[in-house]
Amino acid sequence: MASHWLLAVAFFSYLAASILYVAGFIGQRRLALAAAGAAGGQATGVGPGGTPAAGEFYWKAPGWAFALATLGTLAHAGGILARWQGAGHWPTANLYEFVGFMSFCSMVAFQVLYRLYRFPVLGALATPVTVALLAYSYVFPREVEPLIPQLRSHWLTLHVSFAALGEGFFAVAFAAALLYLLRTREAEKESRLAGLALESIFWFASTVLTFVVLAYLLRYVLGQEWAIVLDRGVARYHLPPIIGPEGSTPGQAGSLFGLPLPLVAVPGWIKGKNANTFLFAVALGTPVYYLLRRLLCRGLPFREALARLAQGLDADLLDEISYRAVAIGYPVFTLGALVFAMFWAKVAWGRYWFWDPKETWAFISWLIYSAYLHLRLTRGWEGRVSAWMAVIGFGAILFTLVGVNLLIVGLHSYAGGDL
Amino acid sequence: MALDRCPDCSATLPEDARYCPACGVPVAPDAPIRLRREEPSPWAQFLDAAWDFFASVRVAVVLIVLIALAAIGGTLVEQEGLYQDWRPPELYYPARYGPLLGRLLMATGLTHTYTSWWFLTLVYLLVISLIVCSLQRLVPLHRALQKPTVEKHLGFLLRQPVQARLPAQGADPLAPLAETLRRRGYRVWREGKGLHADRGRLGRYGPYIIHIGLIICALAAGAKALPGVDVTHDLWVENGQTVALPGTRLAIRNNRFIMETYPNGMPKLFQTQATLLEDGREVLHHNIEVNKPLVYGPWWGPWEIYQASWREEPGIAHLELVAGDRVLGKVDLDLKSPAREYQVTPEVRVVVERYFHDFDLDPATGQPVNRSREIANPVFLLRFVGPDGQEVGRQALNVAIQPGVEARSVAEGPYALRQIGISSRWYTGLRARRDLTVPYMYGGLGVVMVGMYITFFVFHRQIWALDLGTEVVLGARTNKDRWGLQQEVRRIARALGGELTVGNGVERSPGSTGA
Repeated sequence: MASHWLLAVAFFSYLAASILYVAGFIGQRRLALAAAGAAGGQATGVGPGGTPAAGEFYWKAPGWAFALATLGTLAHAGGILARWQGAGHWPTANLYEFVGFMSFCSMVAFQVLYRLYRFPVLGALATPVTVALLAYSYVFPREVEPLIPQLRSHWLTLHVSFAALGEGFFAVAFAAALLYLLRTREAEKESRLAGLALESIFWFASTVLTFVVLAYLLRYVLGQEWAIVLDRGVARYHLPPIIGPEGSTPGQAGSLFGLPLPLVAVPGWIKGKNANTFLFAVALGTPVYYLLRRLLCRGLPFREALARLAQGLDADLLDEISYRAVAIGYPVFTLGALVFAMFWAKVAWGRYWFWDPKETWAFISWLIYSAYLHLRLTRGWEGRVSAWMAVIGFGAILFTLVGVNLLIVGLHSYAGGDL
Repeated sequence: MALDRCPDCSATLPEDARYCPACGVPVAPDAPIRLRREEPSPWAQFLDAAWDFFASVRVAVVLIVLIALAAIGGTLVEQEGLYQDWRPPELYYPARYGPLLGRLLMATGLTHTYTSWWFLTLVYLLVISLIVCSLQRLVPLHRALQKPTVEKHLGFLLRQPVQARLPAQGADPLAPLAETLRRRGYRVWREGKGLHADRGRLGRYGPYIIHIGLIICALAAGAKALPGVDVTHDLWVENGQTVALPGTRLAIRNNRFIMETYPNGMPKLFQTQATLLEDGREVLHHNIEVNKPLVYGPWWGPWEIYQASWREEPGIAHLELVAGDRVLGKVDLDLKSPAREYQVTPEVRVVVERYFHDFDLDPATGQPVNRSREIANPVFLLRFVGPDGQEVGRQALNVAIQPGVEARSVAEGPYALRQIGISSRWYTGLRARRDLTVPYMYGGLGVVMVGMYITFFVFHRQIWALDLGTEVVLGARTNKDRWGLQQEVRRIARALGGELTVGNGVERSPGSTGA
């Protein structure tokens, strides 16, 4: 299908763009540090990036990266249109389509904010977030499914597209807020808890990465399957089922190294299979985190290594970019995720509000960003406290999008969510 | 002594400000003028303290975060009315979460978080905070925007994020600037050697418009608790039947319910071809589908009838009367409410002695009983009666409702009924609703969205200029979009032969801004 090819073009363009952005950013920083060292009369050895040709490369890299990111965005738009054509409905009906669409929106948000601020470092942050989201979408089943009666409505297009667009801006706000936190970090004054909190963001990113790779490998490459027969059907696992679904009996799916499978069964309001995948991601994500730390940061905590790189950036500008991204994303998100959602709920279910977990979490995310907007106006709570709120807000957004579908049973269950 | 920055929002303050122009908080020491000769009464003191409490942005932020946390709690516990189980809460929760935790969750209200007293308390505290914060700031803000200080000190101008210098030409060096600004849609004031201009001050009212919209939404949601404001009736309507809408003069007829599936078996369409009757007269035909409800009544409070569910039920057993191998006639027995007797042939009448729609033997008494309310295991106890009223035989017949299952029967005498088929009865599940809060809620949402547009996309730009004799110094600020303001000031400065000196937070030496 054309959409698969276009998406592949988009994915590799984003990937190349993010590598160029990050390489350019790190190279420029190193050159600046080396220059500062030389000016200070110290005999710092100029590294491999110190040759004039390489220096030129580092200064040009962001330009190429932006061109690649733009190419990727166009290919991605083409891919979405092609899938729309092929499927016969706007492609935001299951998690594969939706997460992919959201990664597209984060790129659109990046394009808008780049035009406003012309700040290449933004690219070094936004493109990896986009790559991660797009990679994540590949974990979900890619088949086009016909729409069940509940989804056959124009509100599907409006509600989901506007919500995703707002979330794209929140993704950029998150990236800028994270960089702000790194930039304004004062290692001596940082409490143990604050350090752990900041580092946990990188731990979480490693876990998600592990999860994506693991889910992809097991489903598409190894084709492994464990089946648990239940009264109401068969639960098919692509990972050893340590956590079984409701109604399963321990040991019914055999054993792994003497450990009965499943080991425990969950109550009905949790999706056992997804809780199982989650368990694996957390268990394997932690060693991956330490491995990445060793490979990328010479064993330093991520926040330590990245804070060094972030020195010299304009902290106020980062704060303003983060705020501006929220200031654009917030009204769009309100319209898409709350107002249009209420209109649709009224037409489809007869009530505009149900306190269904998904809509409650959208409301929680909205509250967090509302708090962010007010915190920024409050003396003593502007700056780092607000930036943390922008980070937490994006965490809530991710949980709304993915966590609720995967872990909690509710009215939005049909929006996919079996891994 | 005047403050430099607002204690509440940390915006830069004008020298002589009594109220913060950004958020409206009183900043001058003498601002909250409370001239009282005697000690205020305890009641007045309490009111003052309460007002100050609710007027604080910090309190509002804390309330927002608390509501978010409470809402998270509600998503971790299945809520009453949303769990998929037939049991009532007092049976369901102990079974689901264990007897102790189940009872604890019910006692704390976590099983109905969003209607619990503590959640509603938090929400209405926030509503009070919204009202007080808005009143506290809106009035001084309006005053400050209507009567700005025109002539500022040079020091104030040199603290603005965007600055420019223009050559002083002619007798009135500020006149060309005023003209340029007016042409760009600015409102311009002149006073002595000073000039002030602003544009897009509507943007400053945006947050208060959002707050008003939110208050309307909260009140609309709260009104649902009043009796009769939000009414729901669930109706099961058999094909061809008419069912009255309780408490109204309306009735709904299900002409036909249809269901379509995709080739892969997934449902595609649920549709009730319905007719609405008012006082027995047909007033509306509509095909009710998911996402396409029937709407009838005034715009401010119509009845809306939704496709909610459907049910297929064993309906009619098709049977033939046989004597040995000879077929004598045919008869249809209704499995929901069979007739007392059926005349099958002129000679033979079938009398329904007893009927069990879900037959079972009570283990205690050994008597036949119905196990449930469903038609799940229909059993007829029949008597055959001849033309003279004499009983000529008996039969116990267990009608087969699953395909591929044989009917079971025990008969005495020459006659028996033999099942040749079964047909279903289709019901559509309709949900009729009338919610009088909808127009208010949608109105509130509309106000919120207008307010958001104004808040986030209408930029308030303020410019001050001072004629220093040798040159004109210009300082400008905006509540958003500093980049856009910088572009505009640069263009204005160039048009008047000057240049931008400070922009985007970075001071530049003269000459470096030019391309």
